[in-house]
Amino acid sequence: MNLSSPARSLFGSRRRLLALSAAAAGVLFSLSCLHAQEPKPTEHQVKATYLYNFGQFVRWPRNASALQSDSFSICVLGQDSFHSILDAALHGETIDGKSVVARRISTPQEAAICRVLFISSSEEHQLKEILEAVGQAGVLTVSDMPYFTQRGGMIQFTREGNRIRFAVNLTNAEVGGLILSSELLKVAITVRRNPQPGG
Amino acid sequence: MLRVPDSSISRRLTWMNMLVSGVALLLSCAAFVAYDRVSFRQTMVQDLSIQAQMIGSTSVSAVLFDDPRAGEETLAALQAAPNVLAAGIYTPQRRLFAAYWRGARGRDLPLPSLPLRQTQAHWFGDGELALVRSVIFEGKPVALVYLRSDLSQMNARSRRYAEIGAAVLLASLSAAFLISWSSQRAISKPLVQLAQTARIVSRDKNYSVRATPPGNRDEIALLVDSFNEMLAQIQSRDGALRMAHDSLELRVQQRTAELTASNNELEAFSYSVSHDLRAPLRSIDGFSQALLEDYSAKLDAGGQDHLRRVRAATQRMSVLIDDLLNLSRLSRSAIRRETLDLSALAAAVAEDVRKSDPARRVEFIIAKDLAAEGDPQLLRVVMENLLGNAWKYTSSHPQARIEFGASQDNGRRAFFVRDDGAGFDPRYAGRLFGAFQRLHAATEFPGTGIGLATVQRIIHRHGGKVWAEGAVEKGATFHFSL
Repeated sequence: MNLSSPARSLFGSRRRLLALSAAAAGVLFSLSCLHAQEPKPTEHQVKATYLYNFGQFVRWPRNASALQSDSFSICVLGQDSFHSILDAALHGETIDGKSVVARRISTPQEAAICRVLFISSSEEHQLKEILEAVGQAGVLTVSDMPYFTQRGGMIQFTREGNRIRFAVNLTNAEVGGLILSSELLKVAITVRRNPQPGG
Repeated sequence: MLRVPDSSISRRLTWMNMLVSGVALLLSCAAFVAYDRVSFRQTMVQDLSIQAQMIGSTSVSAVLFDDPRAGEETLAALQAAPNVLAAGIYTPQRRLFAAYWRGARGRDLPLPSLPLRQTQAHWFGDGELALVRSVIFEGKPVALVYLRSDLSQMNARSRRYAEIGAAVLLASLSAAFLISWSSQRAISKPLVQLAQTARIVSRDKNYSVRATPPGNRDEIALLVDSFNEMLAQIQSRDGALRMAHDSLELRVQQRTAELTASNNELEAFSYSVSHDLRAPLRSIDGFSQALLEDYSAKLDAGGQDHLRRVRAATQRMSVLIDDLLNLSRLSRSAIRRETLDLSALAAAVAEDVRKSDPARRVEFIIAKDLAAEGDPQLLRVVMENLLGNAWKYTSSHPQARIEFGASQDNGRRAFFVRDDGAGFDPRYAGRLFGAFQRLHAATEFPGTGIGLATVQRIIHRHGGKVWAEGAVEKGATFHFSL
C-alpha cells in the first residue's frame, strides 16, 4: 500500500533512491522511537514545562508592570522544589520575542516583574496576603496547593492518574486583568467561575 | 412526387454541422473535465491542508498540556467532513497522540514513515489522498497532523461531470440538430428544388417549368436564375423549331398534293389524248387501205404511192401512240420486285433482236450470271430498248459489237450496254432521255423518241439511276443501276 511508503510518491520512479531513502527513513524513525521511549519526565519537569506553556496562552493587561521588562519572567515564590529543573526547561525559550527566565522571589512585592508566579506550598499560610498583593497586578498565579482556585488563585495543578492536569478560575484571572485563551480552557480539567456577589 | 435521394445534400449538411458541433463539444468537455480533475486535485490538497492546519492549531494546547482526550475531541469535529477517512495527531517525536477513524473508534493509526526532517507531504494512492502537516506554534514544531481522505468525492464528481457532460452533449446535439436542420434548409431547399425541376425537365421534356428562386441573392439564386434562363432559351428555340417544322410539313403536303393532282391530270390527259387519237387514225388507215384496194384501177402509180405514204405515216403514228400509252401506263402500274438473271434476259432479248435482220454481222458479248432485283417485265422493256437502240445505231456499220456487262457507280452495282455505232454528241447527252427528243433524223434511224424516256422512267421507279456516255461515230454506253 502506498500509504505506508510515501517516499515512493515523493521520489517518483527513482527506485534505488527510494530504497535508500526508505532505509534511511526506517533508521531515523526507529531512532525517533528510541527518543520517544526516553524515561518519562518527572512531575517537576512536566510542571516546569506547563509553567512556560501557560505563558503562551495568556494575554496580559496593557498596564501590567511586567510588560515593561526586557525578559519574560517566571517566578517561584517560597520554597523552590524545582531546583535547576525550571532553569533547564526554560533555557533558550522565548515568548513574544522575549527570553524566558526563571526567578526566585521571597516576597509578594517582588512579583510585579513576573508574568507567571508559582506559589509554593510552603507559602500556604500567607496565601491570602500574597494574592491580595498580586491579585490585580496582572500576574498569572499558579500553585499546586489544594483548593487554590477556590481561594483566589488562577491555575491549580492537580493529578489525574499519572498525568498532571490543571484547573482554572476564570473570575480570578479576569480580576487580575488576564485573558486566558480558549485553547487553554479547552484542556483545563475544570473551569471555575466565582458566584457574582449579589448576582 | 420525386423522392429525395438517400444521401441528399440536406442530410449531408445536417450531419456535417452535427459532426462539427459534436467534435467541438466533445473536445471542450474533455478539456474541461481534465482541467477540473487537475484543479480539483489541487483544491482537495488545499482543502485537506487547511483542515490539517485548523486541526493543528486547535490541538496545540492539547499536545502542549498532554491532553489526548482534548485532541480526540478536536479530531471528532472531522465527522462533519465525510471525505476524511482517518486523522491522527502526533508528537514531534512521531508518537501517536490522538487518532480518529470515521465510523470506528480506538484503532491505531501509524504514521507513514517519513524522512525525519520532512514534515510536509501529500500523496495520492489507492483511492485515497494522504497528507502530513507539521504544526508550528510560537516558531516551534509542536505536532504533526496526518489526514487520510478518500477520493470517492472526486470520483463522484467525475461521474457527475461525465453525466452532466453526456446530458449537455445530448442536449447540444439535439439543439444543433434542430438548428442545423432548420438553417441548412436555406441552402439545400433551393438546390433540391432545382434538382427536382431539372429532373422534371429531363423526364417530361417539359421546358415550360421554372425553378423557384430562393429569397436571398446568393450563388444558388444565380444558379437558379441561369437555369431558368437556359430553360427559357430552350423553350423558345423548341417552339421556333416546332413551328418551322410544322409549316414545312404543311408546305410539303401542299406541294405534294398539288404535284400529285397535276401529275394525275397530265397522265389522264395524255392517256385520253392517246386513246382518242387512235379512232381517227384507224379511219384514215382503213379508208386509205380501202382506196388502194377498191380504187387501184382508177389511181395512177403516183396516187397509189401517196396513199401508201399516208398509210405508213398513220402506222408510224399508231406505234407512237402505243408507246405513249405504255409510257403513261408505266407510271400507274405497281412494281413487283424479284431476283432475276439479267444475263439470261439480255441473251434472250439479243436473240429476238438478231432475228429482225439475221444477215447483219453483229457480235453480242454478254457477261454471265449477272443477277438483279426488279420487275421482270419492266426490266425486259429496259433491255429491249437498250439492246434495240444498240442494234439500230450500229446498222450503218458493216460490222458491230454490242456488249452487256456490270460496272460500278460510286460503290453501287451498275450495268451497262455498249455499242460501237453512231454514238452521239456528248453536249446533248442531257436531252437523250426526254420524250420525243431525238438526236438523229428519223430518216437516218427510225424511232419515236420514246424508248429512252421509257427506260429512264422504269429505272427511276426502281429507285435507280441511268446515264449515258458517248461521242459521234465512237459508239455509246448506257449505264444503269437499280
